[in-house]
Amino acid sequence: MSKTYAGPGGAPVPVLAGVDLELASGEFVAVAGPSGCGKSTLLNLLGLLEPPDDGEVWIGGERVSHHGRRAQARVRGASIGYVFQSFLLLSGLTALDNVLLAARYVRRDRSEARREALALLERLEVAHRKDHYPPQLSGGEQQRVAYCRAVLNRPALVLADEPTGNLDDHHAHVILGELRRLVAERNTAVLLVTHRTEARAGADRVLYLSGGRLTSRPPDPVA
Amino acid sequence: MVTLRELLPRGYAFTVIGITVGVAGLVSLGAMAERITRFIEGGDRFVLGQISVAGEGMGMGTGFTAGGLLSASKIAEIAAVPGVSGAQAQVMLPLNTSTSHFLTLTQELIMGMDLSVPVPNRHYRELPVGAGRPLRPGDHRATVLGADFAASRHVGVGGTMALGGQDFMIVGILEKTFTAPDRFALVSIEDARELWLRRDPLLVQAFGAGSLRRGDLNSGAAVGWRDGEDPDALARRIQTTVRGLNVTIPGELSRLLRQSTAFFSALLLGMGALGLLIGGLSLANTVTAAVFERIRDFGIKRALGATDLDLLGEVLGEGLRVSLWGGATGVLLALAIGTAVDARLLRDGQQLFLFSPRLLIFALVFSVALGALAAGYATLRIARLSPAEAIRRGT
Repeated sequence: MSKTYAGPGGAPVPVLAGVDLELASGEFVAVAGPSGCGKSTLLNLLGLLEPPDDGEVWIGGERVSHHGRRAQARVRGASIGYVFQSFLLLSGLTALDNVLLAARYVRRDRSEARREALALLERLEVAHRKDHYPPQLSGGEQQRVAYCRAVLNRPALVLADEPTGNLDDHHAHVILGELRRLVAERNTAVLLVTHRTEARAGADRVLYLSGGRLTSRPPDPVA
Repeated sequence: MVTLRELLPRGYAFTVIGITVGVAGLVSLGAMAERITRFIEGGDRFVLGQISVAGEGMGMGTGFTAGGLLSASKIAEIAAVPGVSGAQAQVMLPLNTSTSHFLTLTQELIMGMDLSVPVPNRHYRELPVGAGRPLRPGDHRATVLGADFAASRHVGVGGTMALGGQDFMIVGILEKTFTAPDRFALVSIEDARELWLRRDPLLVQAFGAGSLRRGDLNSGAAVGWRDGEDPDALARRIQTTVRGLNVTIPGELSRLLRQSTAFFSALLLGMGALGLLIGGLSLANTVTAAVFERIRDFGIKRALGATDLDLLGEVLGEGLRVSLWGGATGVLLALAIGTAVDARLLRDGQQLFLFSPRLLIFALVFSVALGALAAGYATLRIARLSPAEAIRRGT
């Protein structure tokens, strides 16, 4: 896949140039790279949050990048879970309603989704905060709620964009532990983008994004 | 059970306040326009319901019967003209002579009517009495007051009212008509003639000389027409058949009235347009801004699988609820302000606002429809963005 943005004055700013990546079910892949190298863009393209200029995204034998808007929305809701660095919870909804939002758009039975959401919140130790609004939660609590939302629909693929970037070590440890557990217990494919060296420790593969391309070798340090 | 919180989506308080202010402005301006419209329409309706006749000349009487004296014999001649259904002698006097002929539509008048003849005005067969009773033949020193007339003096049925230095028993108060009769004091024609004579020494001298009888002391007459008659044609027929008359042609008078109130018509048209513009812009801008403020939320929802249709449905639902809240509170605010202002003005017999049902319904429908349109427009604009772009722009 390739992606180029328009910079100041319309000058092209190439971000990804022919990235090729395959993730297997139950695989935990970490992507590392310096700030601004295109890690978030890679996740956006893989997660159908924006279209690539060139290339394709396949999920489970389906070329989803060429689906229409409606079909892509269905894929996002049912097959992909997102964990963002800045949590991206809706401030007007309670913690529980934020989690249940994931179920709404895939037309899941509300009572069943609610049971599962409460169980997830319980396991992540934030159930006591279910009726609180995001501004009333700490960063660690918000990220745990966001995680619950990402995995509620049991997606085949979870994309985590610096999920521990705004967390202290303890909460970062909790989230990374949950991602690993997801891979082990649900056979979910997880793609993690992170700066943290320790976060990559449990990954099956670590890839490096540099110059718009993915490599399995860390880039040479600048002299 | 639906809770208040469910009816008013969280985070929209300022949006509702913005819409409230816009709708309150729209309703207030509209209510003022309605008040003026009702006044003009009422006057037009009155003059189109009768042919007003006065004696040839000028300087006597006031209102619709301004002109020379109209003798009893002339009234009898008028009643005999083919097509005339009845002619009622009238005496119209300004209550306050110092402002006699200015603003005849708004000045306070004493109106004496010959109660032995049915009211010929086709649009006002009976002036609606809100309290007490109408005047009856044989009433002496009795009066029925217009609504504003009575309100400005804090008087009611059973009280007394000094007219031209004479005390009159108040036997009735008219319902509010929003036009000229609101400022009338209705009395029997005999009482009105008595007041006129007390006011005008020259008339007393004329009586003394024996050239006038009391029955000739009329400032004019209201003339009705039979079914199927063209009132304008009949008015011209009266003018040519009976000599020495000032006859108003209803159609011409209506045109004159409309010309003389053209400024007010233009003013209220401007007020209405201004109200729509201010209220509409305020509402549309508030709702659109509220939707654009949530651009990040839309990006997140689309990342979670929401389709364009899902979002449009959600936003329209919220837009409708918010607009309805804003519209309803705006209407209530305008009603509260208008009622408070009018309660103060009513002491002087004035009323600035008229909150008609059609205005209130229009304001609510307008706010809800415009709110939904604005919300839909903003959503469609946002739907063009990719989820990632929406999240980026809203963060």
